[in-house]
Amino acid sequence: MASKSAVVQVSGRGTNVDFIIDDSAPFDQVAQNLRQYLVENRGLWSRGNISVNAGRRVHSQEELDRIKQVIESESGLTVSRFWCSPDHFDQAGPAGELPPLLESPPNRPSPRRSKTETMPRPWSILRRAKDSKPGNSSKGQPVQALFVKTTFRSGESIRYPGDVVVLSDVNPGAEIMAGGDIVVFGRLRGIAHAGVDGDPKAAIIALDLDAPRLQIGPYTGLTPAAGSRSKSKTAGPRIAYVRRRSIYVSPYTGRFARYTRGILYEG
Amino acid sequence: MKGKTIVITSGKGGVGKTTATANIGTGLAMRGHKVVVIDSDIGLRNLDVIMGLENRIVYDLVNLLEGHCKPHQAMIRDKHDYELYLIPAAQTRDKNSIDAEQLRGLCATLEEDFDYVLIDCPAGIEQGFKNAVGSASEAIIVTTPEVSAIRDADRVIGLLEAAELHRPRLVINRINPDMVKRGDMMDQKDVVSLLAVDVLGLVPADERTITAANKGVPVVHDKKAPSGAAFLRIAARVDGDDVPMVNVVSKSGFFGKFKGLVGMNGSAYSHA
Repeated sequence: MASKSAVVQVSGRGTNVDFIIDDSAPFDQVAQNLRQYLVENRGLWSRGNISVNAGRRVHSQEELDRIKQVIESESGLTVSRFWCSPDHFDQAGPAGELPPLLESPPNRPSPRRSKTETMPRPWSILRRAKDSKPGNSSKGQPVQALFVKTTFRSGESIRYPGDVVVLSDVNPGAEIMAGGDIVVFGRLRGIAHAGVDGDPKAAIIALDLDAPRLQIGPYTGLTPAAGSRSKSKTAGPRIAYVRRRSIYVSPYTGRFARYTRGILYEG
Repeated sequence: MKGKTIVITSGKGGVGKTTATANIGTGLAMRGHKVVVIDSDIGLRNLDVIMGLENRIVYDLVNLLEGHCKPHQAMIRDKHDYELYLIPAAQTRDKNSIDAEQLRGLCATLEEDFDYVLIDCPAGIEQGFKNAVGSASEAIIVTTPEVSAIRDADRVIGLLEAAELHRPRLVINRINPDMVKRGDMMDQKDVVSLLAVDVLGLVPADERTITAANKGVPVVHDKKAPSGAAFLRIAARVDGDDVPMVNVVSKSGFFGKFKGLVGMNGSAYSHA
């Protein structure tokens, strides 16, 4: 089941359907081809919810509404949410201009993703909280925290203007750059850079902080060599923060206050 | 008959993808299944050598996908009396000479006639990897207990998940029981805690794997080889059997210690 249309391609395998849309085609053409495809293949679709992966394209709210409207009016499908590729964040710019993502219903299976050549990671976790709570961006703009539920694997990288919360491990070779704080509910073994825009007040917290290198704002800290490291190797969550222009790591006591007596991670 | 297409991949080269493909394929055929193994490592053809079928090649995968021959002409039957076939890679072409769509079509056709279609994936994460992965519905990751191989396996698991191949299963190859016992090699627990995937099997390092590959007879044929037995168990698990995992490293009980003292190191481990 593959359309030969250059702009909109549809491929299905098993119960999954991917709409692969040419990132560079003008929006009007995309909308038209999408409608055309759905009209031609009417009857192929049963009712149900689908997710649309917008890939690298930056859409405005109107454009997303229009895609939703086209799909819903020409087929029995209901668009339950949109996804975007991680690269999006670079283009999307500061807070408020993040791609408008629809609210996702709870416990949906993993989203459909386009098999583009870069095979972007699922942003199954990205969703917009309704109430905008100020984040920790250096510019003081309110940015929602980004929740990552899957394991952050080698080669995966994310740059996000607000706080980043990872609910599983960050493996060696993975890279997180957050404008605000980074919290890892798992083992942090990749590279973490909090306060990437220069905010030295940002912190990195992990249940198991085992990263070779930490960066906060303009400062870099390397894990102390094996000898002194055994002392720091106490189990339990730890927090990395900046004091006196250096990065220190202390056991995390559950409050986000000033920590002292940490172990120095020399830069 | 509606078979399954399984890709065997690793990211890093030289960890034993091709050996695993040959052995799992042979193991499944020994269990009475109709199996075809496809070497998708175009330009670096190996699977035929390991299976001892090198001198029977007339047509290859590229010929087949380009329509120069029929599928049955490109399929070489195994020397042994099993329903096992090989579609060899082309040696004189490169990874770009096939496209993912064609290979997917071929696998879909083969699934009609075979129980298992195994694809031996090339190393790396470039076009060859994408071709192989795009055709499969399941994936087996091969790694060795070394940081570099595990790092690459981690990357590949991420890419597989992005390509909708969820829950890949892991084969940890070349575990050296003595090194693990001394604490010089990562054990299964370390590997699994990092990769967070299900383990399909543990294969001990075994000289006989190499001898067998050089002879062109996959080591599963050698019932006495620890690695052969491990691959046979892996094939059974691929087939859906619930074969219990046996630790490659023996528990250091009284008897194990006794053996160690007396210097009977050779057989001091039971294997997975």
